[in-house]
Amino acid sequence: MKKMLSLLLVSILLLSACSGSKSKDASTSSGKDTKEITVWAWDPNFNIKALNLAKDAYKSENPDLNVKVVENAQADIVQKLNTSLSSGTTKGLPNAVLIEDYRAQSFLQAYPDMFYEMTDKIKADDFAAYKIPPTSLDGKNYGVPFDTGVTGLYIRTDYLEKAGLKVSDVQDMDWNKYIEVGKKIKKATGKVMLTQDPKDLGLIRMMIQSSGSWYLKEDGKTPDLAGNEALKEAFKTYKAILDADLVKPASDWSQFVGGFNSGDVATVPTGNWITPSVKAEASQSGKWAVVSMPRQSDNPKSVNASNLGGSSWYVLNIPGKEKAADFLAKTFGSNVDFYQTLNKEIGAIGTYKPAAEGGAYKASDDFFGGQKVVSDFASWTEKIPQVNYGLHTYAIEDILAVEMQNYLKGKNLDKALEDAQAQAEAQIK
Amino acid sequence: MQKTGEVLEPARPVKAVSPKRPLNYRVRNKMIGWSFVLLSAIMILIFYFYPMLQSLLLSFQSGTGANLSWVGAANYTRLFKDPVFLITVKNTVFYLIIQVPLMIILALVLSVLLNSKTLKWKGLFRTAIFLPAVTSLVAYSVIFKYMFGQDGLINVMLMKLSLLSEPIQWLTDPFWAKITIILAITWRWTGYNMIFYLSALQNIDSSIYEAAKMDGASAFQQFTKITVPLLKPIILFTSITSTIGTLQLFDEVMNITAGGPGNATMTISQYIYNLSFKYTPDFGYAATVSYAIVIMIVIFSIIQFRVAGDKE
Amino acid sequence: MTGIKKVSAYGLLAVASIISIFPFFWMVISSTNKSSDVTQGKLLPGAELMNNLTKLLDTIDLVPALLNSAKISILTTILAMLIASLAGYGFEIYRSKSKDILFNILLLSMMIPFAALMVPLFRMFGSISQVLPAIGIDTTAAVILPTVTTAFLIFFFRQNTKMFPREILEAGRIDGLSELGIFFRIYIPTMKTTYAAAAIITFMASWNSYLWPLVVLQTPEKMTIPLLISNLGSSYSPDFGVIMTAIVIATLPSALLFFLMQKHFVAGMMGSVK
Repeated sequence: MKKMLSLLLVSILLLSACSGSKSKDASTSSGKDTKEITVWAWDPNFNIKALNLAKDAYKSENPDLNVKVVENAQADIVQKLNTSLSSGTTKGLPNAVLIEDYRAQSFLQAYPDMFYEMTDKIKADDFAAYKIPPTSLDGKNYGVPFDTGVTGLYIRTDYLEKAGLKVSDVQDMDWNKYIEVGKKIKKATGKVMLTQDPKDLGLIRMMIQSSGSWYLKEDGKTPDLAGNEALKEAFKTYKAILDADLVKPASDWSQFVGGFNSGDVATVPTGNWITPSVKAEASQSGKWAVVSMPRQSDNPKSVNASNLGGSSWYVLNIPGKEKAADFLAKTFGSNVDFYQTLNKEIGAIGTYKPAAEGGAYKASDDFFGGQKVVSDFASWTEKIPQVNYGLHTYAIEDILAVEMQNYLKGKNLDKALEDAQAQAEAQIK
Repeated sequence: MQKTGEVLEPARPVKAVSPKRPLNYRVRNKMIGWSFVLLSAIMILIFYFYPMLQSLLLSFQSGTGANLSWVGAANYTRLFKDPVFLITVKNTVFYLIIQVPLMIILALVLSVLLNSKTLKWKGLFRTAIFLPAVTSLVAYSVIFKYMFGQDGLINVMLMKLSLLSEPIQWLTDPFWAKITIILAITWRWTGYNMIFYLSALQNIDSSIYEAAKMDGASAFQQFTKITVPLLKPIILFTSITSTIGTLQLFDEVMNITAGGPGNATMTISQYIYNLSFKYTPDFGYAATVSYAIVIMIVIFSIIQFRVAGDKE
Repeated sequence: MTGIKKVSAYGLLAVASIISIFPFFWMVISSTNKSSDVTQGKLLPGAELMNNLTKLLDTIDLVPALLNSAKISILTTILAMLIASLAGYGFEIYRSKSKDILFNILLLSMMIPFAALMVPLFRMFGSISQVLPAIGIDTTAAVILPTVTTAFLIFFFRQNTKMFPREILEAGRIDGLSELGIFFRIYIPTMKTTYAAAAIITFMASWNSYLWPLVVLQTPEKMTIPLLISNLGSSYSPDFGVIMTAIVIATLPSALLFFLMQKHFVAGMMGSVK
């Protein structure tokens, strides 16, 4: 009995002792909050490294400010931000945070007044045009645009050769041609073209944005599914690729990465951020090229450039906001040299247009047979059609994923999209 | 109070512990009883019931993020017209009805086998069967996806044994994906439930079994006539907690099928998560869906208490 | 056991063990392989373990996170068992109508998904922070307090107490023990296996708990193991070899605790106390 009681006592003491010591350093950090700002981001190999480089770049001129970089997974940041902001508790919020472009409007609109306006701190015209609608609200800029999700078609040149094709043959093609190429490659090598996760409609998103279309109308609120020609064509193309037996099913990220690391697929149509994962399999060096993304065939507006993912920095409207805004404006917002370092060190491609003139963007990459990959991506970035992602990208995507299954099983396409439209209207109001 | 108890008790013969005790003694005894449960009750009141009340209020509001407004019972009427919610209820109840009995019987059988006095390598077997409960969700979802992929281990094996002529779409067919989820939950939680039985089995006097053996009872009869009735409180406990676990199922589905194909495997809890964090958040409606789960669990629990013959 | 029965018992246990152990085995194997081998499902051990470990220690502060997790889990386990067993014992031994009603009300608390409680709970700790920062947001206490008393554990102890032989209690009273004395000197030693099971379950739940620590902890130095592992996987180009190494390390404490505790599951322990 005494043992248990003393155990209890000790643990209570321990509990209060360790929380006591924590509160001490918490209060010291809040005491000097004018000198310290906290930034949240995800991806240790990319965004976190970028932040640390920004920190170094800023420190040389502003040694007083301590930038505290906190790493959290993206889903975790979304949960933490939503929980804090909706409970109205600002304690523990960061001064700046990275938000994915698809989600940005949902944060800006769901928590009005919680984000700090950046209109006067950055020049919106200096950034790729397609980054501006997601980062703005009511004509005011809130985000500092960061990485581009500019897409390319990563393709195995050795497989192409076996099928009797050259890289120039697959440059600037449309999706019909992609399927033709796929059939030839499959015949010659037995390899399929790509992996697909039935739950992830990234391919559809890339296709419709290349035509300047989205799940929502330009107001960012009204679902644009029934009668959306770009979407309709995307569904048809998706089915045609499956029907031609060019797909290896993958059910998660590791299988997606495994698909091209193992040499099972001939192409990877995706965002430029996949480059490090492609290069991870060093034995495939010299066997890859990146060509422009296929465009939609029936839509004259469609271009050979699109976007997948990408995110931007936001400042929260809490004490320390001026410092945080200054930090972002002087690094990601305007520093050409910083972008060169960023590219050299971690291969990041920003959306700050003046940076494309710098030397690092013109370097060639032996892994891709000496291709100037970064320069190509930068030029495609400027062609990406501008769309308003609006509030409901993921809500609508879940609805569409269901209708996609129905369509693949034989449901009439117009009917499928009409049903999706009706459900989206009921759900998102 | 304790001191006086120690002084008073020995003077009393055993018989005196009966309703005929003096009044002040009963009052005092009552007080002791309440003091045992007081701390827990207060903690649960603060950390569960206060937020639950807030959440209940939230369920009568709707809007994006911080822009909530009162909508009366609109969220509750929306529930019955929401096709996604209805599908998630159907999926979840399907998991519940098949999986919970399957797992409980399996855990019970395994724990009885592992409790045998003559069994060798007990520690090894027990640890092995418990391991799924500690295996990281990430690791096991990755490996499950490999094993149940189109050309994964399971299909390859079944086809080699000529049990299948063509591969089963374990992850992409709406029916088989549900089966895969059921297998996954059973895999992960059987060992977990087994511990409860193992610990409870120690409380059964082994002489009962010896007597039964003398009377010629078979192993199966011993199991159904002795083990199951004696373990009834724990079986009730595990079936209620498993029911709760299944009705709140989230991790497995999120990590193995992400609710797909379409929303064929999506659960109610996953829908709550989506409404709160994946989509533009509507915490009001998410709270309403949460209360739908509470109501379902209450109903299932009452049924289970009744079936167990417990008059609570 | 007769021969056939024995064989089938061993057979069943062996099959169950192999099925159970396979993903764990794969997880351990993967920690010795490089990322592209892991994504291709390689089943043979490689030579990358040290490499993965070094990379892991470079990217995250593993040791402080392990200590944070250990502190939270050990405190939670000790406190939770004491609080819950007192209550479980109280509800069953001093059973009364009004206590049964209270018990049923308390059970309600485990029926609501935690996601629904998170926002109100966070707001509550936000207010607490202003008066008592020592137990407010971003403290160990804030992680522990809401999870230390669970109806689940109270329910578990109560159900086990139902199987507790009352005669022993009366014997204790005759021996002159106080009510609390009976609890500590008779009940706890007798119910060792129940405590062992409860400790394993509670430790594991606390060690793996994710959502609440994620929301309530802000400072990187205070983060727990599951939060750091989640960060590792958040990359566009995650290193799966490193992730698997981290996962193996994160899993070992729970597995070890079980291996040590399961020795207490010895048949007939109850009999020896009698």
